[in-house]
Amino acid sequence: MKKVWMVLLAVLGLAGLALAQTTVRVGVLLPISTVAGKAALNGVQLGVDQVNAGGKVKIELVVVDDGNAPATAVPALTKLMTVDRVDIVIGGLASGVTFALSGPVKQYQPLFLCIGAASSVVEQAFSDYNRFFHYHPWDYHNVAAALEFFKYLYDNGARRVAILYEDGPFGSAGIQTYRQQLERQGYTVQAEPFKSGSGSFTAILTRLKGFRPDILYWIGYDVDALPIAAQTRQVGLEPKLIYGAPPAWPTGFEKNNLSNDIAGMTAWLPSVANNESRRFVNLYRRKFGEVTDEYMAPMGYVIALSLGRALEAAGSTDKDRIAAELAKVQMDTPFGPLSFKPSDTGRTRFQGFNQSIWLQFQYLEGSRRPVFPPNRAARPLRFPGNY
Amino acid sequence: MLDGRLAYWRLGSPSPQTMELLLQTLINGILAAGIYALVASGLALAVGVVGIVNFAHGEFTMIGAFIAYLLFVGTGLDPFLSLGLAALVLFGVGAITYLGLIRPVLAAPELNQMLLTFGLSVALQNIALLLFGADTRVVSTSYQGATLSLGGLSFGVPPLLAFGLSVVILGALYGFLDRTRLGLAVRAVAQNRLAPGLLGIETQRVYLLAFGLSAALAGVAGVMLSVMLYASPTVGFAYTLKAFAIIVMAGLGNLRGVVPAAIILALAEALVSTYLPGGGGWVEAVFFLVIFVALTWRSWRAA
Amino acid sequence: MILVGLLLLVALVLPGLPLGEWRAFLLDTAQFAFLISALALAWDLLARTGQLSLAHGAFFGLGAYAAALAAPALGTLPALLVGGVVAGASSLFLGLATLRLHGMYFAIATLAFSEVMRTLVLKAPFTGGAIGLPVQPAFGGAFPLGGYYLAVGVLALAAGISLLLSRSRLHYAMAATRQGEAVARVLGVPVVRVKLLAFMISAFLAGLAGGVYAMKTLFLSPYDAFGLGRAVEALVIPIFGGLYTTTGPLLGGLIIVSLETWLRLRIGEGYLVVYGVILVLTILFLPRGLVSLFHRKGAGHA
Repeated sequence: MKKVWMVLLAVLGLAGLALAQTTVRVGVLLPISTVAGKAALNGVQLGVDQVNAGGKVKIELVVVDDGNAPATAVPALTKLMTVDRVDIVIGGLASGVTFALSGPVKQYQPLFLCIGAASSVVEQAFSDYNRFFHYHPWDYHNVAAALEFFKYLYDNGARRVAILYEDGPFGSAGIQTYRQQLERQGYTVQAEPFKSGSGSFTAILTRLKGFRPDILYWIGYDVDALPIAAQTRQVGLEPKLIYGAPPAWPTGFEKNNLSNDIAGMTAWLPSVANNESRRFVNLYRRKFGEVTDEYMAPMGYVIALSLGRALEAAGSTDKDRIAAELAKVQMDTPFGPLSFKPSDTGRTRFQGFNQSIWLQFQYLEGSRRPVFPPNRAARPLRFPGNY
Repeated sequence: MLDGRLAYWRLGSPSPQTMELLLQTLINGILAAGIYALVASGLALAVGVVGIVNFAHGEFTMIGAFIAYLLFVGTGLDPFLSLGLAALVLFGVGAITYLGLIRPVLAAPELNQMLLTFGLSVALQNIALLLFGADTRVVSTSYQGATLSLGGLSFGVPPLLAFGLSVVILGALYGFLDRTRLGLAVRAVAQNRLAPGLLGIETQRVYLLAFGLSAALAGVAGVMLSVMLYASPTVGFAYTLKAFAIIVMAGLGNLRGVVPAAIILALAEALVSTYLPGGGGWVEAVFFLVIFVALTWRSWRAA
Repeated sequence: MILVGLLLLVALVLPGLPLGEWRAFLLDTAQFAFLISALALAWDLLARTGQLSLAHGAFFGLGAYAAALAAPALGTLPALLVGGVVAGASSLFLGLATLRLHGMYFAIATLAFSEVMRTLVLKAPFTGGAIGLPVQPAFGGAFPLGGYYLAVGVLALAAGISLLLSRSRLHYAMAATRQGEAVARVLGVPVVRVKLLAFMISAFLAGLAGGVYAMKTLFLSPYDAFGLGRAVEALVIPIFGGLYTTTGPLLGGLIIVSLETWLRLRIGEGYLVVYGVILVLTILFLPRGLVSLFHRKGAGHA
């Protein structure tokens, strides 16, 4: 008799545990064939592993490639919502794609955790949607962070800045603002567009020799990093600082001597001195066998972890309960502390990170180290750089 | 001394700085024309001789760039030294492609051939993506930022090397085309595909050779691109597009005309880049506008 | 022709079919498939006169931008017409300029035109430039299936015009022009008029498709709208499906988009390799395209 009771109790106990563990399906919509998208996916998977290992909640991922274009992303989201029936979607890396997704998102009403999409155009599009959690800083945050750095350089004697910007949406978005604000800071500005990937900067750089810029600031992609670095030296343009702002840098660039003293802006480096970051790097290395430079990886990781916390606190799979708990999440991350507040413009109700996550780094002898803001610098900025 | 200078100014001559800028611009253009001519010549062989619109030409270039990059990463070999190997490997790739894929569709309509090479291009690019990922990869050589200064003008060392090598390689190519029997056979086939067969020239051998050479030239250009730009699955595309435009401007089948056409276009690009404010954004448009005007004007004049 | 009618009928009733949970996804994918098939049909129309254009990306893009800019002022349907007309007008200019160009020369000239157009749209102040242009949905979003039926409409129009032309006298004129302009002229074919007419109809249809596309993706950027990839796809599909027919581009477009989508869902990474291989194999074994599977018995239109 006792044995039967014990078995019954055990079964009930297990059933209770099973019920107590919240299982939720989460859709992941990322451009998997791009470097940033793959890194983001890895980060999300790493985070989900952590969450599931905790035992209290279980996240099941449904991963769909958004093809990095509206024509493929929109049907992909539709599939996630109607076929896979997820209530939560992690996605929105590229701004143009995320903008196109705004329509279907508002139609299907998922809890949308946005990993990228810096363009203000996207902020405008989602301003009337409440289940939108935007983790990544907006473009005006990026501009503000860069301007802070420019102010510091101005205080160190820089007066003339030449801006090379790629003539696509990434490069052209902030250029007017940069021009205005830099001139207000006291700089003389000359701005030139270029076609990213063309590799031909000799003409523009030759023309800039007459302008004698103190800072050569280029906004483009990883494919432009080496040509600009090489051709600046080839034409004999000698700025005091080469400062680049691509979303990523080419592989092997740090091993190239031309990278020395080139500065850039990023949200995160593997060498950042922060417990969460170190933990992330170790976990990532254990799972994927390498150390990644892409900041989208820890970003995906943070999203998964924050979602895990919200799930635990909510104790249910109801997306609104989860959203309510997510809004209250406060945690330490590789980027610093995370909490959700309305954005500076007020258009985003749940904005995660802002300009404070950006740090300026400088290449030197094969490694990248933070040099600004001063409270996060691992070594001093070399200004003027030796080019 | 001062009088002389004032006199110079009063005459309204361009200042030394302006002259220098002009010369530098022209030099930049000519150096850039080297790689354009290399890629375009390769394509001209495929299109003009074999008669194949090879959409996969850019992928041959890409393979060359990766060969250089992988050799560099694996053995530290300077990319320019791997030119010979890349050329050989790509010749082989071109020959296999010809025998396996191109020869069966030689008799088919032109459009079919286009679809074939397009499918090949998609497959090759995505195989590279699978194997290597979309990362942009750069090599590291000691001379990448080096420059030669001659009297106020600077010649970047990698473009200069690339230009010099292009001149040598194209010189050898044209020497081959002009002076050897096989070369003359290639030119004959380029000018009229049917007649050489009637005259007893083995067209199949010529086609194989031409296509292999075409791929080899693309591969060599790819190696140079890996030093000056980067290696990635998509590195070949932009140059291929321009190569198509260049060979059309030179005239299909006119292998000789490729180099002058490349120079004209590269110079146009350089001049626009330098002298037009915001020129960087207009360069592509100007390139294609020149092509468009040249093509249409020529067609109306020939009437 | 029966096949064409059948496919259009299926397209018409697709929203009503019991598709279960896949419905929304299929309808979305189908919409894009219809638009690219319409573009392919438009390309094929021009190809019948021997003009192998690479400018259809430009016509598509011009139509998209024109419709997007006109929609707030004129409403959806008139804006789409404006898009088509703008594309058609630009094609008149291009057609006239390239009258004496053939083969690859013609193709590159049209490509050059397309690139110049893209840069002009990029630099123009009123198009939103590089940042892009937000677009209102069709009919202001009032009809959930509005965009879908617009796409069906454009496809049906393209298919209808293609069928009409292939049954008219113009069909012979176009074929003659394609096979040899000098001979065609001798036979009394008004070659110039035929070429220009084909150009304008083709561009008009491409512009319509572009307009509907804009209202579906709700956002235009010059790199996406004028994409060279789309121009090449417009060329690849008719070859794959069967040139100078209506069934060919229509069926080919639907199959290619379905194939691509299915591969992407099934295989994930690397699916494009399979896609490329399939293209190569198809052309090696079916040189006349997919329609050759249906026409074993002998010559026939469709």
